[in-house]
Amino acid sequence: MSKVKKNLVHYQDLIIKIREFFYSRKVTEVKTPSLLCSPTTDVYIDSIAVKVNRDISRPTDRYLHTSPELEMKRLLSKGSGDIFQICQVYRDNEYGINNSNEFTMLEFYRIDFDMHSLVDEIIDLLKMLGKTDAVIKISYAQAFFEYGNIDILNADLKDLKNIANSLGLNSDYDWVEDLQTLLFVHLIEPKISQIPICFIYDYPKEQSALAKIDGPIAHRFELYINGIEIANGYEEIQSADEYRDRFNNELYKRKMIEKKKLLVDEEFLRDIKAGLPNCSGVAIGIERLFSSISL
Amino acid sequence: MNYSTSQFKNGLKLILDGNPCSIVNNEIVKPGKGQAFNRVKFKDLITGKTLEKTYKSGESLEGADVMELEMQYLYSDGEKWHFMEPESFEQFDLSEESMGSAIDYLVEQDICIVTLWNNNPITVVPPIQVILEVIDTDPGLKGDTAGTGGKPATLNTGVVVQVPLFVGIGDKVKVDTRTNEYSGRA
Repeated sequence: MSKVKKNLVHYQDLIIKIREFFYSRKVTEVKTPSLLCSPTTDVYIDSIAVKVNRDISRPTDRYLHTSPELEMKRLLSKGSGDIFQICQVYRDNEYGINNSNEFTMLEFYRIDFDMHSLVDEIIDLLKMLGKTDAVIKISYAQAFFEYGNIDILNADLKDLKNIANSLGLNSDYDWVEDLQTLLFVHLIEPKISQIPICFIYDYPKEQSALAKIDGPIAHRFELYINGIEIANGYEEIQSADEYRDRFNNELYKRKMIEKKKLLVDEEFLRDIKAGLPNCSGVAIGIERLFSSISL
Repeated sequence: MNYSTSQFKNGLKLILDGNPCSIVNNEIVKPGKGQAFNRVKFKDLITGKTLEKTYKSGESLEGADVMELEMQYLYSDGEKWHFMEPESFEQFDLSEESMGSAIDYLVEQDICIVTLWNNNPITVVPPIQVILEVIDTDPGLKGDTAGTGGKPATLNTGVVVQVPLFVGIGDKVKVDTRTNEYSGRA
């Protein structure tokens, strides 16, 4: 068998196993549109815009999805129950050896799962895929205590700038979350690169994305395999009003960093007016997962 | 001249904390929900120390005017070590501190790599392998075939290297300058 064929078959095996994992747990596979009317408002993720002709000489802007998140949430709010999807996603302004403008994402949502039950299910999935290394679960705050001796949840903008300066790093950032991320990338990631499977959970509330907030933390987690980010998940906020607030916050930040002005996706908010069921969801980068398993 | 993180690549020379440094590793990290960073490893060209820094992508740093030139080692007057660039015949000198361990390996006429910063020499790298002469060592012990790693020998530059027992005074030996190890008879 040629090397290419061998690789293709390995990849196919991975996809088959993932599908079987979810089918056996009665999670429904879905396919949602990838050509959307609204770009993502995520501060540091950019949609790729395309022009389509909806009629003769009527060019219209459309955006390739950067993740199937909102489309799947439309289904959840309408009563889809547990769902999963494997699809291509597209992002502008991605660079570096671990990033690409197009990659494959596995995204799934589990009704009445909290963050920790979802983490456990991902561990089951990894085991079934043959990744049986010991698992480390550590909270964001604990990781900073252990690997940096830093009380990250109680550090304000000034404290964080001082820490960055003491490490000889530029501290010219306007937001707490950017300095938290700088320190995470600089101090924590190199440490956890020694750990085969590492879940970091309970992110600071400033990095909540669309996760439920509980005091100083958000019920959000990330999976790192040998220091490479593989998955990002959270306990989902449920009401349309909360989504509106989070989107507005993202738009405000995009404005501050002089990114293109965007609007809140009103159609989405209308569609989820009934709210989302209590659930948790996660996105997993398939190519990164695949390379971590083949290695 | 300033360089933005998008121009970072291995070997690029930049000024860091006032010293010229060379990039030895440049990694772009783009967290799923955060901004992009460059995690960079530098070597300080003066102290030789490794530094790790993380920059927000798009930041820029001042470039360092650093050149590496092949030069011939001429002589030492005890305070300075003198070199010549063979094409221009331009001469440069380095202090004992800047010479570092190169002092242990260079003999007159040797060709080595001298690093210039703003046209001033800052470091010198000797050839990977040099040929030096043994000026002092204990006589080989006949019959000792246990091969216990040899014996110390002082070479004509003053450096001490472990050599096999059969090597005697006046012999020429090859030394690996990266490890300070004997690598054969010349």
